[in-house]
Amino acid sequence: MDVKIKLYPYEKLKEDGIKDMLHDLKKNTIIMIDAKLKPDEEAKLIEETMKNISTNFSGIELDSLDLTASDENDTVLKKIKTQILEFLTGKKRGLTLIGPADIIKKIEKKPDDLLLHMR
Amino acid sequence: MVTKHLKNLHNRLKSFLGKLFKRNKEIKLGLYGPPNSGKSTLANTICMDWLGKELSTTSEIPHETREIQTKENVIIENNGKKLTFSVVDTPGIATKIDFEDFLKGGLKRPEAKERAKEATKGVIESIKWLDKMDAVLVILDATKDPINQVNITILGNLEARGIPVLIIANKLDLKESSATAIRSAFPQYEVIGISAKEKHNTEQLYQKLFEVL
Repeated sequence: MDVKIKLYPYEKLKEDGIKDMLHDLKKNTIIMIDAKLKPDEEAKLIEETMKNISTNFSGIELDSLDLTASDENDTVLKKIKTQILEFLTGKKRGLTLIGPADIIKKIEKKPDDLLLHMR
Repeated sequence: MVTKHLKNLHNRLKSFLGKLFKRNKEIKLGLYGPPNSGKSTLANTICMDWLGKELSTTSEIPHETREIQTKENVIIENNGKKLTFSVVDTPGIATKIDFEDFLKGGLKRPEAKERAKEATKGVIESIKWLDKMDAVLVILDATKDPINQVNITILGNLEARGIPVLIIANKLDLKESSATAIRSAFPQYEVIGISAKEKHNTEQLYQKLFEVL
């Protein structure tokens, strides 16, 4: 089986991104988003996923890395710059992986890695 | 000067009425968590302890609760104080629902498909009801790895809404359970270890509710 990996810019989520993503997820595509999703975005993604579940699509596996959390050694100035950037872009530094549950058994999070266990 | 006094009086009256309203208001206590973590068992334990009757049916097959179940006017007493709740048992939140899992649980194909369909609606309902809650117990199965996206999403959404949360490490009657793993995973939250099934440590849970609310 062929599995495609597709990069989704975070900005696309604000448009009709979730519906587009689910369209791709149903076609065995793994989605990579260049940010950590906010709680309300995760909830919206779960809601939309539920609306799409069928005998051919059992849902999703998702996990994300929060890259702001690994910046503990940063200088105060760098932390402020990061926060200002996040405030201005509305985007939380990180990475989100979303895959169809029919092909991904589990996404395991190590401190700096995301490990995909395939079925 | 007069305006300032009037404004002050208005604020004090507003604050007093706010407190009075809050005191008399029935607190909506939501029971959230992933499927099969013991939400309905705990809802039943709470309702049996304080009302003498159960709220929900329970089952080993996941997604037994597929609709919101509410029991109003549950009055909990502790040291002469009373709290009045609506206990809201919610369907388990999940990112995937495979009807074939229900076949393994012994259901026939049409039943399994129907259950899966209802379960998806239940997840959507649970998420929608988050906004209505005054406080939430997040019930986690202490035999399972607590670090997963569903738990993180539930807690993140509650935090974003400013809803008070207690994490319940359930199923401590089972040998492989660990409340410590849940405490380590979510150190910023108060975690109470219980067995809803065996009614172990539920007294501590009731006491904690008075501290949180």
